[in-house]
Amino acid sequence: MKAFVYSDKSLGRYVGRFVWLSINTEAPESAEFLKRYPIPALPTLLVLDAPRSNVVLRYVGGANITQLRQMLDDAEQRVRSRAEASADQSLAAGDGLAADGQHAAAVKAYESAIASAPRRWRRLGRTTESLLFSLSMLPDKEGCATRAMALYPRVKGTVSSANVAAIGLSCAVSLDKEHKQRRKLLDALETATQEVFANKNIVLSDDDRSGLYIALIEARDAAGDEEGTIALQAQWASFLEGAAQRATTAEQRTVYDSHRVSAYLDLGTPEKAIPMLEQSERDFPDDYNPPARLALIYNAMKDYDKALAASDRALARVYGPRKLSVLSVRSDIYKGKGDLKAARDTIVEAIEYAKALPEGQRSATRIAAFEKRLAGLQEPQ
Amino acid sequence: MKRLVLLAVLALSARAELPFIENDYRKAAAEAKAKNVPLFVEAWAPW
Repeated sequence: MKAFVYSDKSLGRYVGRFVWLSINTEAPESAEFLKRYPIPALPTLLVLDAPRSNVVLRYVGGANITQLRQMLDDAEQRVRSRAEASADQSLAAGDGLAADGQHAAAVKAYESAIASAPRRWRRLGRTTESLLFSLSMLPDKEGCATRAMALYPRVKGTVSSANVAAIGLSCAVSLDKEHKQRRKLLDALETATQEVFANKNIVLSDDDRSGLYIALIEARDAAGDEEGTIALQAQWASFLEGAAQRATTAEQRTVYDSHRVSAYLDLGTPEKAIPMLEQSERDFPDDYNPPARLALIYNAMKDYDKALAASDRALARVYGPRKLSVLSVRSDIYKGKGDLKAARDTIVEAIEYAKALPEGQRSATRIAAFEKRLAGLQEPQ
Repeated sequence: MKRLVLLAVLALSARAELPFIENDYRKAAAEAKAKNVPLFVEAWAPW
């Protein structure tokens, strides 16, 4: 075969798609191979799936060029389907673990999916995003940022790159200020996020784009660049206004309320949020969100009476854990007003409510945070 | 002279000599794993 078949120029396209090993069964150094894969007749052709070292194709006898090409195609296809099956299985396991809140185990499963995936696996993007999300839920923020940096080139130019870059950037932002790698990781991931942001070929929903703004603003803030932060916040606010204007229904428009409230608060122009929130309250009279947000806005404007009135309306409609946020703002409003007793009573009410929430909605961290706040609200002796 | 070298290179690639690793299974397996491609093996003897 050596003299004729292997030198056929039609094999050129296979050169880089396989690694080629020639085993002379008489050579002493071939013993290790022969122990593992006994060869009773010659010549024998084998194709091994390298990472799993199992045989995907075996043929005894000399092959002509047509047969050889057919075998190479078949072997490649088999390796690909096995790799895909194994990656799919790990991905499914990761999803199950992540849904169960077991993010460390989910990370392992997603990593093994990526490791066993065939080239150009069509689920690589989703797997990478899920991996990054689970990593961001773990305390090791350096691990999250480093992995995002390493995986970004593999999803570059796809929709998935948005989440990979932005989640990684958020992890880098939350690294300890003294952390040695912080600057380097922040720079690299901010550049990656900007790259996604500027790529016109990546079609992002307005909601996702807003998420990228948030990550980039956090990064500017983390870099201590006050001017850059404000400029980007202003750009974000006007982007959100544009998105809200493009909305064709009231429901679509209110999607942007929450991000717009954050943007206006950050920019120190809370009053800009009032018209849209009043509109939303008229459009959705049963929804607690518009009055809850109005309470926050009026509080920031130090218009405490209006803030309390909005908080009353929100409390009348709110239910579940979200009531805790409404009570939290309400306590702030009383505190701003100078009514420390009412501020304390509101926190006491919040703690009772938080403790009475059913398991699954009850949060020990939240209760502890309220108790800490209550301690801080004691009258000076 | 340059032309000759170029012709020689072209002739080589047209023959598409497969880059066989001789007898070293470990090296070949590691390379295949690193490149994430299958490993083709031809077992033969110089009889």
